Amino acid sequence: MSVTLPSLQRARPAPLRAQADWDALAKAGNRRRAIGQGLLMAFLVTVSVPILLPYFWMFTISVSARTGGVDSAVLWRSIGILVPAVLALGFLNLLTDRGMRRLYGAAGIVLIAGTALAWAIGPDLHLQNWAFLRDANFVENLSGRGAGTVEAQFPSVWTAFGNSLLLAGVQTFLVLSVATLAGYYLSRFNFQGRASFLQALLILHAFPAMTLIIPIFLLMHWTGLLDTLTGVILVIATLELPFAVFIMKGFFDAVPWDIEMQAIVDGASRRQAFAQVVFPQVKVGLLAVGVFSFIRGWEEYVFVRTLLFDKQNWTMSLYIFWVSEDIMGVDYGVVAAVGVFYVVPSILLYVFCQKYLVQMSLGGIKG
Amino acid sequence: MARIELEQVAKSWGDVVAVEPTDLVIEDGEFVAILGPSGCGKSTTLFMLAGIYAPTGGEIRFDGHLVNRVEARDRNVGIVFQSYALYPHMTVAKNIRFPLKFKGVPADEAARRVSEAARLVHVEELLDRLPAEMSGGQQQRVALARALVKEPQLLLLDEPLSNLDATLRLTMRAEIRRLQRRLGVTTILVTHDQIEATTMADRVVCMSKGRIEQIGTADDLYQRPNKLFVASFIGAPPINLLDGRAERGTVRVGELTLPASGIEGAVVLGIRPEHLGLSAPGHGLAGRILTVEPLGRETLYEVATPLGSLRVLEAGSERRWREGDASGVTVPDEALLIFDKASERRLETASLALAEAA
Repeated sequence: MSVTLPSLQRARPAPLRAQADWDALAKAGNRRRAIGQGLLMAFLVTVSVPILLPYFWMFTISVSARTGGVDSAVLWRSIGILVPAVLALGFLNLLTDRGMRRLYGAAGIVLIAGTALAWAIGPDLHLQNWAFLRDANFVENLSGRGAGTVEAQFPSVWTAFGNSLLLAGVQTFLVLSVATLAGYYLSRFNFQGRASFLQALLILHAFPAMTLIIPIFLLMHWTGLLDTLTGVILVIATLELPFAVFIMKGFFDAVPWDIEMQAIVDGASRRQAFAQVVFPQVKVGLLAVGVFSFIRGWEEYVFVRTLLFDKQNWTMSLYIFWVSEDIMGVDYGVVAAVGVFYVVPSILLYVFCQKYLVQMSLGGIKG
Repeated sequence: MARIELEQVAKSWGDVVAVEPTDLVIEDGEFVAILGPSGCGKSTTLFMLAGIYAPTGGEIRFDGHLVNRVEARDRNVGIVFQSYALYPHMTVAKNIRFPLKFKGVPADEAARRVSEAARLVHVEELLDRLPAEMSGGQQQRVALARALVKEPQLLLLDEPLSNLDATLRLTMRAEIRRLQRRLGVTTILVTHDQIEATTMADRVVCMSKGRIEQIGTADDLYQRPNKLFVASFIGAPPINLLDGRAERGTVRVGELTLPASGIEGAVVLGIRPEHLGLSAPGHGLAGRILTVEPLGRETLYEVATPLGSLRVLEAGSERRWREGDASGVTVPDEALLIFDKASERRLETASLALAEAA
């Protein structure tokens, strides 16, 4: 300090530049901002391409592939039309700022791109790959390719869809109810072994569940839950819980004590204060944990593969596995169609909950 | 409305003592402020009254009834927190109505009381807003309305003005005072701000380290502090404290000798800044002005003297001294506070009595 202090005192502000320079400085600032924005856009576009492309490809295959072959022509042609269209929309956004003009421009671009698409790939599109939605025995009915397969080899896709929905939904419900109560208790009450309990939660989460697969199999066998959805639901919920409890505890920690004490002085019981005052503050956390554990149940593969055998118990992940496995020579069109069907609920869930999931990082309570 | 009695009430968390056994009586309709630095146990005392903390010893009585075991929800107490603690997901109307929910008040009666409470604190126009959409002052008023809507027998205010800006604090101070007078509700204000305490309350309870140091009116605490802590905590700018020795009818502080009979031993001399004066060099203590702080109506000088640096408050905005000037500091014979150094209690001296008589 004794060294820096005198030098600070000696330092004088650099003389301001002449007045005329301000315009130039403003221009330079604008230029730098424009370049920065451009670079950022370029970076984001580059990063999103490998994320978006596979989904798009899967979709184009599902609506264009014919019996077995994979044809990338449709992909390239549609990209050739869609990329310029997206770029044009971007420029439109940069160049116009008035609502109506922007709307008309966008409508024009969409119309042109739509016409071009219809002309370029329209004739290649068909829905044959989606036959599995209607017909459980679609493999046998695919002309000439069902030879050698047994009737009723697959359950209806809706059975698998229902099973997945049940698995993910019930699992999420279990996780949410237990994690909310446990998180509240861990956040608000002191008890013997609280610290070690919290540490144990983290260790449990760090433990790779895969190593438990044989003991879990035996456990399911002995309890008679093998080959039942109940068993899988219990296993997955249990494995999900430690982390969910930890996250919920964090959300409860962010709720100030003041409003809880206020509620109690205002005449509420501890339980009423929880239900009417504290609980509404952690809804965002609940939603986030809910979305993640639903997705976890929806995408579950390892445990359903191990613990479920009967095809009436198949979930979507097993269905897509057997579809890709059992058709003589992989039918990419059908696999892609089932894939799209499988992924749409997840995407919808994310789209609708995105707003709240982003809030999750901000945490708890505002105002 | 209630008369509140605390008898040997204490609170500790394991080995940590938050409040030592404390006696305090608050009369029906009285406005009492508990004043002290943070960590002195004032909020803990408040929470024990509210029923949020259970005391580890002693008895709390409302109108003579023991309430130690009565739950917070049944005590009919209104509270306003420093953070206002409004329920973020409820509109103002729902916030104010919340306490009535648990009392079985019929709907039309509840609606009437909500709008009455809202009118009392001037938030009728805000009933549909959410707390996040209001300013700090508005939130404060809503919190007050919510505390008053159930017609509590005791109103507790925990640093209610600390989060407001200076002007608003002034308005709210007067408003809360007026409201309290009008409703006649027994009120306890907890604050670390002495001006808040002395301007709003009938009596001030000064606390430090879990103990009540002194109870009295604002004048009592300022002019006749019982303890060194009270003298140093109350008064802005703070009092000058000087170590000295009392012997043979005088108090000696460095070169300074003041008459003070009847006391012996090590003492601490307290002189309020406004009782010191600046004079031409050569009069009184030799001093040099270190800093000049214009306060508007007054000017505060920090003056280096052989006794250490002293704060001197001069009336008037006109400033006769600048930093670096040499000056004298005159010390009065009266208006001195003398404390025993060991026990930190104030000592009554004959000289003070004499000075008052003259």
